[in-house]
Amino acid sequence: MKKTNRFAIVFVCAAACSACASLGPKPWDKDLMARHEMQVDPYPLQTAADEHVYFSKEASSGGRGFAGGGCGCN
Amino acid sequence: MKKRRGHIRENLSAFSASLLAATIATHADKAAAQPYDSVDDNYGPGVAYSQFDNALLVYKEAGGRVTAIEPASDLSVHGASGQQLSLGFVFDSISGATPNGAVPSNLAQTFLTPLKAVGSTTTVTTASGGSTVIQLPPSPGQIAAAALGRQYIVPPNVLPMDRGFRDRRWAFTFGWSQPVGRISELGFGGGYSTERDYRAISANVHAAQNFNSDNTTISFALNTEFDSSFPYGGIPTPLTEMNAQWKSPTSRDKTQIGFVLGLTEVMTRHWLMQLNYSFDTQDGYQNDPYRVISVVDPVSGTPTSNLYENRPGHRLTQSLYWDNKIDYGPTVTEFSLRYFTDSWGISSKTAELSERIHLGRKLYIEPNVRWYQQSAANFYHYFLVGAAPLPTYATSDTRLGQFTGITYGGKIGFNVTGNTELYVRGQYYQQTGNGHPANAVGQLRQQDLFAGTNATFGMIGLTWDFH
Repeated sequence: MKKTNRFAIVFVCAAACSACASLGPKPWDKDLMARHEMQVDPYPLQTAADEHVYFSKEASSGGRGFAGGGCGCN
Repeated sequence: MKKRRGHIRENLSAFSASLLAATIATHADKAAAQPYDSVDDNYGPGVAYSQFDNALLVYKEAGGRVTAIEPASDLSVHGASGQQLSLGFVFDSISGATPNGAVPSNLAQTFLTPLKAVGSTTTVTTASGGSTVIQLPPSPGQIAAAALGRQYIVPPNVLPMDRGFRDRRWAFTFGWSQPVGRISELGFGGGYSTERDYRAISANVHAAQNFNSDNTTISFALNTEFDSSFPYGGIPTPLTEMNAQWKSPTSRDKTQIGFVLGLTEVMTRHWLMQLNYSFDTQDGYQNDPYRVISVVDPVSGTPTSNLYENRPGHRLTQSLYWDNKIDYGPTVTEFSLRYFTDSWGISSKTAELSERIHLGRKLYIEPNVRWYQQSAANFYHYFLVGAAPLPTYATSDTRLGQFTGITYGGKIGFNVTGNTELYVRGQYYQQTGNGHPANAVGQLRQQDLFAGTNATFGMIGLTWDFH
């Protein structure tokens, strides 16, 4: 059963990778991706402030980046 | 013509890499920035530019609870060959009241807690919200003037809160990354955070590889953190009665190690997708040293004592995070989902949605909403019942209980010059939970036992980019 699961995981990963290979625009179609707001984290201070607030009031942290908050507020 | 087309193609390829977080930038061919139809379109791999951000966060909880003011600065320098240097600084000033973990009672409650020794800079006085400094019997070898404690009285039917909470924090971060051989990016970073009763030191390394014409990036980041907690009054013995005496030891540590495995994919010309899996373990002292849990009479529900909480020393967390950005020119939609689970029995779901709407070339607005729901830790209790045996672990910290949090907010951004943006952002955060658990006894049935938070926070920021 475990072996079957491993095969399934490998298959899903391989399928996902091959799917990625056919995804995405051509280089000359990436103008929108170069815009400031399309960077993954265009406002790092805003992201850090949100994560600090929620880290200090909720049990969950991380996801976008590392878990934890580097402070004693939780 | 062929040469010109090749040149254009080379330049455009500079924008083709999928984009990771600020600390995980990607690398692509060297090329100059190409103007598009707005002033802010020359970012990304292969473009040399720097970004200097400054912001001020103001955070305020309803009911006279915590207020925080947090100025922060962040400098990122991007080289044309994919190098990136980042430096960050944050200062926190926090004060106000915070629930101490005890339940409300139909009778007034008196709490005793340690006061920092004479000669300290602690400023807890009668003026700081109802606390009074009291004289304690000195310990052997201790001068009488040093044997002081702090007492506060909570009126009947009021949620007990400690109004003597005040702290300051300084935090610094740095990071460096660059392409190395065939590896698109290798980097390292670190952080240092210090406050009066807590210190955190962290270090990380990360690697990222681009392929599929730079539409796909796989990244791996490893992080470790070493925290020290040295609370006022020392480390209390778990599940013992709250008191004002200084305790031993005076500090305890926590070690954390984790990783994030990420996939970033440029799905279409308009759609950027990111998928992260995070794994993290924490070992060591994880109690809140100031927090207690009430022991109540099994019939009347009146608190009879308050015990310091106790949490397991080991915690393993995992999360799956999925983020999407869709740009259709005048609007940019961002939608993310997160599932989180840990070894304490907590699981949570988070959904966030924001819509950036451009109002011409200079102005945009961005409404946002966030929904969050978590289950309780398996050692969470509203209170303990006097007649029952004590559990090994117990906390009444609402942050480890079951609740739902909703945030509504918005942002206005104004492009002051071609490379300077001023933005103002406001958020309202509200937690809701069950204040009337089924096992409430006696007077507790008349009380609201949910100590959740309602907070308003705003931010003003200035982003300055220079190429």
